Amino acid sequence: MTMLRVRDVTVRFGGIVALDGVSFDINRGEILGLIGPNGAGKTTLFNCISGVIRPDAGAMYFDGRSLKFAPPHERARLGIARTFQNLQLWSSMTVQENLTVPIDALSKRNTFSDALHLPFSSYAERASAERARAILHVLELDQHAKTLAGDLPAGIQRRVEIGRALAGRPQLLLLDEPAAGLDARETRHLAELLHTVRERFHVSMLLVDHDMSLVLPVSDYVYVLDFGKVLAKGVPAAIQNDPKVIAAYLGEESGKQQGQEPAQEPAAVVAMPKKKDEAPLLEVEQLAAGYGHLEVIRDVNLEVRPGEVVACIGANGAGKTTTLRAISGMIHPRSGRVRFNGRDITGSSSEHISREGLVHIPEGRGLFPNLSVEDTLRLVANSIGREPDLPMAYRLFPKLKERRRQAVGTLSGGEQQMVALARAVLARPRLVMVDEMSQGLAPTVVRQLFEIIRMMRDEGIAVLIVEQFVESALEVADRAYVFEHGTIAHSGSAAELRADRKLISGSYLGSAVDGAAVASNGNGHHADPALMEIVSVKLPAKLKRTLEERAEQEGRPTGAVVMELLEKVKRV
Amino acid sequence: MTWLSSRFTVRVLLALLAFLVLARLPAGMDIGFQFDAALAAVWGFGILSLVLLTGYVGQVSLCQATFAGVGAYAAGMMVSTFHVNYLVAVAVAVVAAFALGVVVGLPALRLSGITLAIVTLGIALVFDRYVFQDAAFAWFTGGSGGWRVDGARMFGFQMDSSKHLLAAYVVLVGLFCLVALLMVNLHESGAGRRFRAIRDSELAASTMGVNLTRYKLLAFGMSAAIAGLGGSFYPLVAGSVSPQPFWLFTSLQLAAIAVLMGVRYVPAAALGGVFMAFVPDVLTRFGHGSFRGQSYDISFDWFQIAVGVLLVIQLILLPDGVWGDLRNRVLHAMAPARSAARAVVKKSVTTA
Repeated sequence: MTMLRVRDVTVRFGGIVALDGVSFDINRGEILGLIGPNGAGKTTLFNCISGVIRPDAGAMYFDGRSLKFAPPHERARLGIARTFQNLQLWSSMTVQENLTVPIDALSKRNTFSDALHLPFSSYAERASAERARAILHVLELDQHAKTLAGDLPAGIQRRVEIGRALAGRPQLLLLDEPAAGLDARETRHLAELLHTVRERFHVSMLLVDHDMSLVLPVSDYVYVLDFGKVLAKGVPAAIQNDPKVIAAYLGEESGKQQGQEPAQEPAAVVAMPKKKDEAPLLEVEQLAAGYGHLEVIRDVNLEVRPGEVVACIGANGAGKTTTLRAISGMIHPRSGRVRFNGRDITGSSSEHISREGLVHIPEGRGLFPNLSVEDTLRLVANSIGREPDLPMAYRLFPKLKERRRQAVGTLSGGEQQMVALARAVLARPRLVMVDEMSQGLAPTVVRQLFEIIRMMRDEGIAVLIVEQFVESALEVADRAYVFEHGTIAHSGSAAELRADRKLISGSYLGSAVDGAAVASNGNGHHADPALMEIVSVKLPAKLKRTLEERAEQEGRPTGAVVMELLEKVKRV
Repeated sequence: MTWLSSRFTVRVLLALLAFLVLARLPAGMDIGFQFDAALAAVWGFGILSLVLLTGYVGQVSLCQATFAGVGAYAAGMMVSTFHVNYLVAVAVAVVAAFALGVVVGLPALRLSGITLAIVTLGIALVFDRYVFQDAAFAWFTGGSGGWRVDGARMFGFQMDSSKHLLAAYVVLVGLFCLVALLMVNLHESGAGRRFRAIRDSELAASTMGVNLTRYKLLAFGMSAAIAGLGGSFYPLVAGSVSPQPFWLFTSLQLAAIAVLMGVRYVPAAALGGVFMAFVPDVLTRFGHGSFRGQSYDISFDWFQIAVGVLLVIQLILLPDGVWGDLRNRVLHAMAPARSAARAVVKKSVTTA
């Protein structure tokens, strides 16, 4: 039966529509997976359900009760609990104390009787401690009960967050990227844990994660969000093979028919062999790095040869950005070696590294919004010690010459990225690393930027790019590394990787793409909303999903299928 | 049986012990130091109020002296205008301070950090320059002369400042130990955990069922009430009320000394109160003379400079405050002994 109904929820941040009329149901006892590329609106949806932000339009019902005016703590009491993508444990409290807060929140506790240590309070105190310990036991966290939550490694903190969410006796558990930062083994363990949790605590779950190796095996049903809309929905096997979903993850080009791979091989292959002989410009060996307790990358080995374009691809959180940061000295590597141009630069300051001729353009570009284009480019003089060759930059980027008096902050996203690239080129680097170059940019702009990358290669500059639009990246790149769970899972020439689509889609959507091609096309809207409301509330989950699927296969509204069935029953 | 759990008993005994020691301490001192001791208790309440608000709940306030001042004036007004028993006056003062605290807490529902600090600073300024000094509030402040409360009685005893200062001091210290005990209890209880949850992550607290509005306002109210309780004894101690002790700078000093001594620890409040009351007096009394023919004069101003310098040193060397860091070091050094003792106890229990 339906537990949470979300209807046409819309959220706008300024001009950006983060969620655009999203509707779905979560049924009792169900684990519903929610996936989608970066910026698809998953976390926004979470914040709406838990009451942290208020939707601009739409309605939500929990157990038939409207959530419109319920503040977050009220929703917690109704039985909606959540975890956080960026850990939000109460770090100066012990693990057990973390669990007792939501337990206490359920009971009527009085501050003054607590302070006076009255019998009622100390009784309640022991009851909460007992329940907290029981939950810790199920999650295998007993030995950490008295540890301060902030002192634990991130993987265990994630488990404590799940425990804390369970402590408030929820009926619905919202899990926001519980696998972030976990390696493959820990992810498998988490998947098992989630099944245990469902059985022991009788909760339904809404699971958001980038990691398909968690979402697909665990979920009963999957919704795919893209640009704030429901792109597709279906059972995990169908989602894995849905061309629309693959396109959303890998970029526009792969939206073509899946069966027939493009026969024409790109010309880039030809340029490959002669570069093999040269000594590598950048060599990375056994690199490991992370933040705080979190080890994000381990055993990363890669190299870039002079004048080569190399792409790093892989799902979000796989460790691509961290690798770039560890190479350029923005964070200190934990172990491993980075050699650039024959010199060991492991752990050097980022300033020193950039003087060596390795320029890093970070995600978000690192520009000064109030500076004009020309002033931004002139600033390069600081790092190269002479006037930069502005005419050369304007030859490469004619558009920037037109805009040279304009403040960088007023430029479009694509033009800002050009400023960042131009600034990098002016420093006369040997290698430029670009992180998420095309994030948030329209496809036509992205094409222009890749054209510039090609020009940079022709100038003899090697480029290491981290890219979401896999198809476009592989078109430009000579070689590519595929990241999975903080390490490199595959590598090869771009042509090879392009030919082996399954390999790449596997690293995004989970491997084992089997033949069960149950493509689902529905967009979440039903012909007869009133009838569907009745159906969605009264029917058990499995029956409902079956009806929806049948309706979609037959290309009819679900309401019609239901009516037909009712007719049949009447006749019998 | 249930509420005489061992930890609780230890706390009560410690509070009693602290009271007995502290109550006796100033008996042999001269009247000047006795006054300092009573003042130390008043400011001790002020810092205790910050331990609750900043240490437990993580909210910033730079108007704690204002709450104390409202308590002092309210008590003075009740005694002088309505001639009530001093205990009643104290109760009214606490309620008045609580109410003001809740009002000041309203902006904290939306603001935090530096913006909240500025707003509370503004409130301190308004009370300091306007409410405590303007003729329009003479009914509350007693006009420019303030209230005189000589001859006030409590528990049937005469408690005026000149002859019976120690009596007021004993009551004040008793109340301080009681409130300190309650605060330690609170820290370890459900409500205290909710407060600390707000301090560590408001987002997580609200989504885990903690009503932010209610607990933030409660924290501001309780904190103001504690400061007001201390302040309400000020007329007894000093014999009269004037705006000067409750001006803006005292609020800043309370905040600075709370951080210096360890804003998360209840005993730091006692330490801070003593520091704030005694050090300036000691400096003015003994801080002049001559040394190798050079005459010197370390007057009160030096105290302000000393607080600033100490604060910088403390933030570098003792980031958890004087009390906090010393406590942690002692606990750390004693850890092996403690676990050994626990093992012995466990053994004797199992064999018995």
